[in-house]
Amino acid sequence: MPVATTQAAPAAVAAPQPQRRRGPNLAIVPWVAPAALIILAVFGYSLFELFSQSLQYQGTWAGIENFKLVLTDPLFLTAIWHNALLLLVVPVLLALSLGVAILLLETKRGLRGYRAALFFPYILPIPVVGVVFGQLLQLNGGLNEALRSVGLAGLAGDWLGDPSRALWTMAAIIVWKEVGFGIILFLARMLSLPADVFEAARLDGAGFFRMHWNVTIPQLRGIVLFYIVNEAIVMVSWVFNYVYVMTNGQGGPGSSTVVSELYIYRAAFADQTPELAAAAAVLLFIATLGLIVSFFRLQRSGEGAFGD
Amino acid sequence: MKRIKGIIAVTCAALLALSGCSSAAYRARTSGGTLASKPAGTYPTGPVKLVIWWWGEQEVAGAKGWLADTVAAYEKLHPNVKIETVLQTTDSLIPAFQAAAAANQGPDIQYFWGGINSQEPAWAGHVLPISDYIPASELKHYLNAATEDSYKGKILTAPWYVNPQFPVLVRKDVLAAHGLKTPTTWSDLLSTCDKLNAAGITTLAGGVKDGWFGGWLYSMIDGQLVSSPSDVTAAVTGQQKFTDPMHADWWQRLQETVDHHCWNADINSQQLYQAQQQWVSGKAAMTITAGTDAPNFVKKVGADKVQITTMPKIGNGPYAGKMGTTSQTVGITPWTKYPKVDADFIEFMHSPQRLQAWYDKTGSMPADDRFDMSKVTDPVKRQLFQMALNGAPYLENYIPAALDSNAVFTNVQLVLQGKRTADQAAADMQSQVERLRLTDRSLVNDFKAWKR
Repeated sequence: MPVATTQAAPAAVAAPQPQRRRGPNLAIVPWVAPAALIILAVFGYSLFELFSQSLQYQGTWAGIENFKLVLTDPLFLTAIWHNALLLLVVPVLLALSLGVAILLLETKRGLRGYRAALFFPYILPIPVVGVVFGQLLQLNGGLNEALRSVGLAGLAGDWLGDPSRALWTMAAIIVWKEVGFGIILFLARMLSLPADVFEAARLDGAGFFRMHWNVTIPQLRGIVLFYIVNEAIVMVSWVFNYVYVMTNGQGGPGSSTVVSELYIYRAAFADQTPELAAAAAVLLFIATLGLIVSFFRLQRSGEGAFGD
Repeated sequence: MKRIKGIIAVTCAALLALSGCSSAAYRARTSGGTLASKPAGTYPTGPVKLVIWWWGEQEVAGAKGWLADTVAAYEKLHPNVKIETVLQTTDSLIPAFQAAAAANQGPDIQYFWGGINSQEPAWAGHVLPISDYIPASELKHYLNAATEDSYKGKILTAPWYVNPQFPVLVRKDVLAAHGLKTPTTWSDLLSTCDKLNAAGITTLAGGVKDGWFGGWLYSMIDGQLVSSPSDVTAAVTGQQKFTDPMHADWWQRLQETVDHHCWNADINSQQLYQAQQQWVSGKAAMTITAGTDAPNFVKKVGADKVQITTMPKIGNGPYAGKMGTTSQTVGITPWTKYPKVDADFIEFMHSPQRLQAWYDKTGSMPADDRFDMSKVTDPVKRQLFQMALNGAPYLENYIPAALDSNAVFTNVQLVLQGKRTADQAAADMQSQVERLRLTDRSLVNDFKAWKR
């Protein structure tokens, strides 16, 4: 069998041959089609309805009128601004998650316990978090009472009732809840990194900061990118739950915690202007799509989110 | 990357193209307040299932038990009918119905607050006028139906119970301990605030975190300054302005309560019902609560220590010193299969035996002039019912719900927090209504038709 002999020898030493491009495998179509059709029906119909409503008013073509009304609404612009401000939370989340994950990596004892404790907030339902923090952060709530009792009354404040603080208080709560996800994600990746790289760095005399800055973090590039994009999407289109629960669906005090999703919800179900809600939702959809596309671009330009 | 861009571009283009030919898919508010209609038909003999979404246990303790008894009694009379009741929360009452209505499905009978809260769903085609199914000879007994819930000669929803909105509860013992009496005029109130504040006592306990209390204050203060609800609807349609003194002065009065430290310091971080507990515990001299719930508060503290009154009098208008009155209502939805049964059940709610049972179970006033007031012996309830019967229009029920939440709720929060002045609040309310006229292109016509 000369063919087998001649192919086996070079394969052991040479780089893998590029795979030949194959044509579409039609055999999988019957297996994938039902699920694909359901997904297409659900998401396709929703998207179609969304775009359709955004371009109409009471069943008649309105062109971009609804988009104009939304984009000139000070409340919508405020909501978008708040989403943008919440994006500033992403670097904080990243730094905290990475820092704590590295500390846990260095921990010799009790890793499981610490890991469970830090992940616990992430699995708590948002309504529970909202109610608990809503009580805790009242002007005469637990946090302020504690501050007063230790002589730090000057630090006490109306955390959720003061318009200038409310959004940042909410951001802090989001950090508290979301940071566990990042820690677990980064720690899992760190624990799977080859030990010999760290060993070599140590032998080369790398200290704690140098080793993690130059060895650990670079190897997490893909997962860090994934986490950044994921949390950015949370800040753009997943903060509704927090705001709704903690402000009773009002986005108050005033409009200090209104975010784009709440704007859409209120336009659709409180103000009876579904066409404006649809127009705002289209804008939010496009913004989120932009984030996802950015992620794919970053992923391609790097080493791949899960491939490093 | 090119492939992704291509897919996105093609998808967007297809959606845009398709959306241009999809006018039928849109279900929204109908223009010009065209009311929904449906033939009543005959009373069915086959199995019937009705669903009722309702709210109210929160402000009328005992309502749940009464409704369960009423359903049971009705089902006994009509064995082919089964009725399911679903209790809604305050925050979900309107959004849940809106969401259901958008899908053209939901309850057969829906609970609506009065005035604009029953008008707007009806203008959107989500309510069958109750007067199409219940004769005028019956409806004329339903309190506040003609004033709040009528439109183009029809009654939209059926009043269920009367809500005196809103009594001020006064702790006479707390005031007396500081040598004070119940304030009856606005200047009395501000003076009381000054004295109690100096003594470290809160004069008025309230909570605006959830917004609702803002609407209460608007109605209780501005309600005394207008000459009729038409003034308010005129400001909505643009014939008057919310910056005119009649509509803007109430912000100044609110500002005065802030300047005189009338409120609990944590008013912005407290929800409405949480804050009222400060009054129960004696930390505050006065609070404001739903009229239906007032007797329960009185019972908690002791009738001898409490006085029920109205918001201190401002000005000399026709409603100065009066309490507002409204009826909470139920309506029939257009997707119900059995409007005849829905209407019959609503009439059954107003049968003499059920009216009396309502009072016995809840202590609040059924919205029906056939209720025998002589049975009300409790002086607190008697006083409240009389105040409601001679009450003023409840102002919040005459402005668009969107204006209420986006301008009144928010500006009250900001004025109470000291982040916005009275003038800024009035200007914001005016700019919000101007914007609302742009976004809700049926608003002016609907309000003008309602006013007529």
